[in-house]
Amino acid sequence: MTATVLALTTALGLSACSQGGAGSLTFMVFETPALDAKFWDTSIATAAKEVSGAAIKKIVSPDADRTKYAKQLQASGQFPDILASISPKDFAGAKLLKPFDQKWLDDNFLQPTANAIGGETYIPPTNSQIIPLVFYNKKIFADNGISVPTTWAAFTAAITKLRAAGITPLELAGSETWAASMPLVGLASADVLGKDPAWIQKLYKGEAKLSDPIFANAMQKAVDLVKMGAYSPAALSVDFKTANSNFLAGKSAMYPMGSWFTGSSYVSAAQADNIGVFPWPTDDGSVVIPFNVGGTTSVSAASKNVDAAQKFAQAWSLAPANLKVLIETDGAFPMMKKLGIKDFGATVNGLYNSSYSYVTDSNTKVSSFGWVNNDDALAPGINDSFYALAQSVFSDSDVKKQLTKLDADWAAATKK
Amino acid sequence: MSTHVQTRARHRIGLAPLALLALLLYAAFLIYPLVQSFITSLTNRNVLNATNAFIGFANFAELVHDERFLRSLGFTLVVVLFVTVVSNIFGLLFAMLLNGPARHYKIMRTLVFIPQVLSGVIVAFIWRSILTENGLLNSVLQGTGLTQQPISWLGTPALATLSICVVVSWMTIAFTTVVYTAALQSVPAELHEAARMDGAGPLNRFCNVTLPMIAPGTTISVTLTLITTLKLFDVIAVLTGGGPANSTKSVAFYLIDVAFTSNRFGYASAIAMVLLALTAVLAYGVTYLLRRREAHL
Repeated sequence: MTATVLALTTALGLSACSQGGAGSLTFMVFETPALDAKFWDTSIATAAKEVSGAAIKKIVSPDADRTKYAKQLQASGQFPDILASISPKDFAGAKLLKPFDQKWLDDNFLQPTANAIGGETYIPPTNSQIIPLVFYNKKIFADNGISVPTTWAAFTAAITKLRAAGITPLELAGSETWAASMPLVGLASADVLGKDPAWIQKLYKGEAKLSDPIFANAMQKAVDLVKMGAYSPAALSVDFKTANSNFLAGKSAMYPMGSWFTGSSYVSAAQADNIGVFPWPTDDGSVVIPFNVGGTTSVSAASKNVDAAQKFAQAWSLAPANLKVLIETDGAFPMMKKLGIKDFGATVNGLYNSSYSYVTDSNTKVSSFGWVNNDDALAPGINDSFYALAQSVFSDSDVKKQLTKLDADWAAATKK
Repeated sequence: MSTHVQTRARHRIGLAPLALLALLLYAAFLIYPLVQSFITSLTNRNVLNATNAFIGFANFAELVHDERFLRSLGFTLVVVLFVTVVSNIFGLLFAMLLNGPARHYKIMRTLVFIPQVLSGVIVAFIWRSILTENGLLNSVLQGTGLTQQPISWLGTPALATLSICVVVSWMTIAFTTVVYTAALQSVPAELHEAARMDGAGPLNRFCNVTLPMIAPGTTISVTLTLITTLKLFDVIAVLTGGGPANSTKSVAFYLIDVAFTSNRFGYASAIAMVLLALTAVLAYGVTYLLRRREAHL
């Protein structure tokens, strides 16, 4: 008798859960000094109001590699309903993500197809970044009579001059592979994609190789930078936080880094006044901007309440308060159709405005190599191999050999 | 049936459920995952999609030619050898220094044991602050004029490997010290006294009394240090992230990368199987040799 009552109660309870309200949804987030727990809690509470009956349970990624953590959750049968800032290509290929409605994307974003993978969008294209720009110390440049370089030759001449003056020319957070890769990202984006924007697609089709001269010559420049003493001898022992403080303290003259560095989490308005910015230089001086359209929320296709999860994701993505925080603290450039930069009421510094001009200006924008969320995203595992290359150029100058290995990694990852 | 026999029978039946429970737990949490992992190692299973075809021993064949795996294996064995030797030598040394009844020795023993209590992640964070470009070590070296430029302790393959060896040894010395302290305390004082009366000097007493008597402790300490170091992951993840250029990726670290970055669960399971076999062979081999040594001593 008791067992029958218990079974009926359970069945009724489950029935009620499936019929009414959004129920409980899990949202995997990540925390940084800019996007702290308070930011996520507030933004979740705001977006949850748009989804009746939704209880959002926050899951915090243990480190910055939220894509890896999402895979761990998937492997253990705990894939979240909503995920913040993952690399969607792997998951989309396995049909684990629910694409956003194209009309909603068209209605709300300046570049509604910027994050498209196979014609579908899994991350709303809410904001953008330039990865990398080269930030420079205005005072050091002025003291050493250096003008802002616009060509590769001028850039290397500035490096040589700074090294001769006993100043570390380029800051590098070399102990963190993603940060160590900044010069290589700049070189691959400007020298390879600047000349052939479809090059990554050719790589996927097997029509190009990483060891081809166009890519190898670009990577050779990374070796040349090491050889000319562009970095501190201990650059690979420097973490991101230390690199930021080194550059801001004037211990180095230039710092290739993503445009997030313009945010108030990284520089104060006063510090920003002494910092200038220029795009990664090309041989002929043409302006190539390594562009990444970002966004935050992806939705699991396997969510028990996929409609509610997507409604929450859309509400989160359109909330101006969320983007305001991203603009101020993380230097995000808004890509909203109905909201201009002034509509957010964000307080930004002069460095942010200088950097933002490269988004609004007419120039050659290409995918930021290894950073984008669209069809140009690299095959699984290749980002890590590419990041490792950024460190290995310090001890192994045989670019051809290293790129042949990278070709093998690419072939294994794409089964070619 | 006699009362004695009845009691024995009841005693046996009384323990049976407990033994059964232990067996069930062992099967559920060790045997089943092990078998499952072996089965997965024979497939091309992808962590994200339904790919799960049987491919025989192809993953194991690939491992033989996988340069990154072989490098991670070489790195792991270097760390295992360094840590096992260094932590056992220093563990024994510290244990001998701290093997006293006085109160301050207890405090010292507690202090030595602290690294063992701390998690590997915390230890790695502490050491990272020491070994980075602007860290304590470079500050001291430059401040005293011993070096002009900061040394890249974590940024050159050889120094990064050495740094990891030192940090892991620092952690494990705490454990080995405790094991050797316990072993030393079981050595009867009378033996030392008798040897002293026979005219044996300190070195002679150490070689002929102390070492033979603590041989079982040595076996335990060496074997457990070896097993712990073979699965090293946390310290590396924080201290170097496997860098520079993958030079400090242990087998365990590479395994996680293959599984959750390259999505190759089948291949990662094959790595796990090889690591398990390697651990078993090394642990068994070392234990066998040390037990034989115990018998000889």
